[in-house]
Amino acid sequence: MGKLIAERLVALVGILLALLVIVFLLESVIPADPVRAMVGASATREAVAAKRHELGLDKPVPEQFVGFLGRAVRGDLSLSLHTRRPVRDDLTAFLPATLELALTATFMAAVLGFALGLLTARGRGTPLRLFLVGGASVPGFLLAILLLLVFYSGLHWLPGSGRLSSSITPPSGPTKFYVVDGLLHGRLDVTIDALRHLVLPAFCLALAPAVALGRVLRSSLQTVLDQDHIRTARAKALPERRILLHHALRSSLNAPLTMAGLQLGMLLAGVVVIETAFAWPGIGLYTVQSIASTDFPAVAGVTLVLGAAYVVINALVDVGQLVADPRLRVV
Amino acid sequence: MRRHLLAPVVVLLIGAALAACSSSSSGTKAANASSTTATLHLAYLADMSTPDPDVFYDIEGNTVILSAYEGLVKYAPDSTTIVPALATSWDISPDKLTYTFHLRQGVTFQDGTPFNADAVKTSFQRRLDVNSAPAYMLQPVASMTTPDPNTIVLTLKNVVGPFMDYMASSWGPKIISPKALADNAGTDHAQTWLKTNADGTGPFKLTAFNRGQNYELTRFDGYWGAKAKFAKVDIRIVPDMGTQRLQLQSGDLDVILHSFPVAEIPSVQGNSSLAVKDFSSYLQSLLYLNTNKAPFSDLNLRKAVAGAIQRDSLVKEVYGSYGTPATSSYAPGILDQSLAPVSYPPSTAKVPGAGPINFVYTADESGIQRRMAELIQQRLNAAGFNATLKEVQNAQVYDYVNDLKNAPDMLLMTNTPDAAHPDTWARILWGSKGGLNFLGYNSPKVDQLLDQGAQATDKTAADQAYGQAGRVLNDDYGILFIANARDVMVMRKDLTGVQHVPNYPWALNLGALGR
Repeated sequence: MGKLIAERLVALVGILLALLVIVFLLESVIPADPVRAMVGASATREAVAAKRHELGLDKPVPEQFVGFLGRAVRGDLSLSLHTRRPVRDDLTAFLPATLELALTATFMAAVLGFALGLLTARGRGTPLRLFLVGGASVPGFLLAILLLLVFYSGLHWLPGSGRLSSSITPPSGPTKFYVVDGLLHGRLDVTIDALRHLVLPAFCLALAPAVALGRVLRSSLQTVLDQDHIRTARAKALPERRILLHHALRSSLNAPLTMAGLQLGMLLAGVVVIETAFAWPGIGLYTVQSIASTDFPAVAGVTLVLGAAYVVINALVDVGQLVADPRLRVV
Repeated sequence: MRRHLLAPVVVLLIGAALAACSSSSSGTKAANASSTTATLHLAYLADMSTPDPDVFYDIEGNTVILSAYEGLVKYAPDSTTIVPALATSWDISPDKLTYTFHLRQGVTFQDGTPFNADAVKTSFQRRLDVNSAPAYMLQPVASMTTPDPNTIVLTLKNVVGPFMDYMASSWGPKIISPKALADNAGTDHAQTWLKTNADGTGPFKLTAFNRGQNYELTRFDGYWGAKAKFAKVDIRIVPDMGTQRLQLQSGDLDVILHSFPVAEIPSVQGNSSLAVKDFSSYLQSLLYLNTNKAPFSDLNLRKAVAGAIQRDSLVKEVYGSYGTPATSSYAPGILDQSLAPVSYPPSTAKVPGAGPINFVYTADESGIQRRMAELIQQRLNAAGFNATLKEVQNAQVYDYVNDLKNAPDMLLMTNTPDAAHPDTWARILWGSKGGLNFLGYNSPKVDQLLDQGAQATDKTAADQAYGQAGRVLNDDYGILFIANARDVMVMRKDLTGVQHVPNYPWALNLGALGR
């Protein structure tokens, strides 16, 4: 396992470097002048040039790239052109919201996916399957609007945007996850309000992964359930529930875990659309704002974070597979 | 067995139902409460760049700046008249070089510091030191003196026609508490602190600035003028117009400040609790032509475009009643319309020599730009052109002047001047070095006329010069003036005290707003 982690770390560095190269190539190819946009219409050409020099944007792209890398290694992700704050501070402010949403969505996807897989493997759960597949086949932004129309606008059951109601002041830290912080500070109102805000966006994000997970789990369960050791277990007259959960499930987890890794990566991509629809103050929303203002330092920062997240998630899936299926440990 | 497997699902469903039950009551409560409590709910489509008045140079964010800060003067509602704010009166010397402002007494900053002439001087100096985009408004100042605590005298290096308009602009110099500036000075003139805080003399304090989430304004009870009616203003970042509309209809939002889709306005008009209000603005829809390369280096082709787009019917179709065909190269109110008139007689004839053209536009949430661009494309193609249409970002547009030979042939964009003065429009839009002169229109005659206008001490002479600068452009068909757009807002009908200033787009006077 140590070797695997070492390999993944090397891969992480390689992938992040490649991503940054792509971002910088894009920056040099896309014709845009963010500095001009930043200093404003009434600035003289000299003032624009001075600002460009100040930001180091008058240097050739390879030199800018080396400079960016040098600062990034020291934890300095340059200054955002739009918010005029260090990108690192922006990411620190926006990342917890996305993490809280993504973790909730992952949990929801796992619960729904397993329920779907286990039920349908035994030929049951058709209503749940129809409901989930139907929902997952609707594009994310449309699903978001539909859910808002029904649960927020129509029924007034759930809030429509943001992480907390404006009447509630969030506790300061330590995790920046409002659900957790609310519990830690004994502020149940915060936790409940945060959960209510999480339901719709997390469900939107969770639906597609849940269906994918459920289907893969179902097919691997069915394969395993046809195997000899299951017949043996049945012959021993073990209860069917025990056979399913103890004998079949564990050896069926390999494919679903791989699928989970892929789906979580895609979930991070879906975050951009869903956060915009639900005004969720996370990385997705930050990305949309940064792209709109051609804020390359910010885009590079987001790319780094999301790229790292993708690699780490897949490494975790690998480890998870090793834990779940001992056969894989033999190299 | 089936029962066991269903258990988690059942638990989930029960949980959801419980959440729904417990929340349905609080949900309706919240909806009811918003019409009675003293909080005004607004939304921005995107974060403002920064609430620092010496750096801020966008439109989204005007409401925050204008609520927390005040300048020496301001524009009266629906008008270009400059009226007192922190200065009660002012004298301008006959040579237009010395401006003496008599300051309001008994004013305090939101931190309790008394307001006086030294505070003005400190703030003005800070704007120059920060030297960001809006610093240009004070750069003509040669010296600042404070003969007594209630008077500040500014001496200019040269005559600057629009100087008083700079003072009244939403991006004009605002007075920041000298104590806050000193306490939080750091190494960057308190720029770090002012990115999330504000300390002015305005009717509201900025009590929370959560980027990406919400900004909270709280009534400043020590305000010198009429106190604000709302105790709090909550501005949420809601980047999706569809979500904003749902919130408005549900009573969670009081006003959609801008970019409401024009096509959706009829659906609002049927809603008895909502009102559509439109205000005069200086927002003009513009069609830039690239005169630096073929095909539009040819005046006849530019003129042909002006006819082929059939502008008046175009404006009617796109804006409905929320825009009118531009009658001059200056918005009404900025300059006498007859001094630089525009009219583009429609033509449906085929244009000889028409060929392929690259046409770009900047999109907005309202859908107006896209619709307008598509119609223009159709009409030009009917006239024999072959227009390729592309949507671009603002930052891309700013890049075109760096390589005009490879820049697009045509650009559709909507812009507004910094202040209600012809110089702040003509100089940046079609002066050869103008920041909004995106496709590099260049006429030495225009530059000369603009300088003549800016340095004239007599208003009539100045206006004549600006008018002539407009006529040179209009005869050249370098920029086509399409429409004067209205500033359209959709709001709860029970809001009172709705005040709008044409030069402060996307903003209402929150201090006067009530319910």
